[in-house]
Amino acid sequence: MSAWNLVQENPLLLYQCVALVLLAIGFFGVVWRRSLVGMLIGVELMLNGAGLSIVAAGQLTQADAAKAQLAALLVMGLAAAEATLVLAIALVVARRFGHVEADNLSELRG
Amino acid sequence: MEKLAVLAFLAYGLTVVAGALIAVLARSLVRALAGLILALFGVAGLYLLLSSPFLAFMQILIYVGAVGVIVFFAIMLTRPPAGAEEWTPRPAGRIVLALVSGATPAVLLGWACWTYRPEASSTPASVEVTRLGEVLLGPYVLAFELISVVLFVAMAGAVLLGFERRRER
Repeated sequence: MSAWNLVQENPLLLYQCVALVLLAIGFFGVVWRRSLVGMLIGVELMLNGAGLSIVAAGQLTQADAAKAQLAALLVMGLAAAEATLVLAIALVVARRFGHVEADNLSELRG
Repeated sequence: MEKLAVLAFLAYGLTVVAGALIAVLARSLVRALAGLILALFGVAGLYLLLSSPFLAFMQILIYVGAVGVIVFFAIMLTRPPAGAEEWTPRPAGRIVLALVSGATPAVLLGWACWTYRPEASSTPASVEVTRLGEVLLGPYVLAFELISVVLFVAMAGAVLLGFERRRER
């Protein structure tokens, strides 16, 4: 089956490819970045990939499309809540340690 | 898919991948945030291609608007001294660890997607926004209320943490 036929018959795979690339790059970023804020950016990329995969699966198959869109909306809300909490935690860490470098944050006692 | 749709998909997909790479590899965190916003806009375009314009709008409103501003605040409030953090060299082998940990889940999930691919139509279903509201306030009202509670608790916790005084160590 040629690539063009595949695109014609099953575009879901293409969207899933993009979502997987977002997951891989986001995971790479979480491990590669040194600061907590850089890791937060990686997590946001991964959550976006998840939302895209959910919506594509809902819109292009027999599954209920409305449920998929609502699930993606819930993912967006959770991502916003998570970003807020990471902002607060990074703020506290920056106040106490003077930096937000994940490798050097090895002290549990505040 | 029509040829035009394939072209649009390629444009949006390349935008997403380029933005994500900038977001992960840029040395300056502000540039990384710009790359993240580029990737978010690309995903919004993909939502438009999937004929869900409401989600594309929400993506721009919530992600680009709210999360982008939050990340920008995080960058500015925890501003490292120039030449620190992302500029310093990583420990040896970190790149290998990062590549392996990024590729492993993607390859596993990609294998699963390829092997168990469902029958997919090439034209996306279209959903009215009123239907979304009915489903959200009908059978899924508990999830709707819970997400508002989660958001409230997160915001209250963030404010509480932000008010904490500096302790002498």
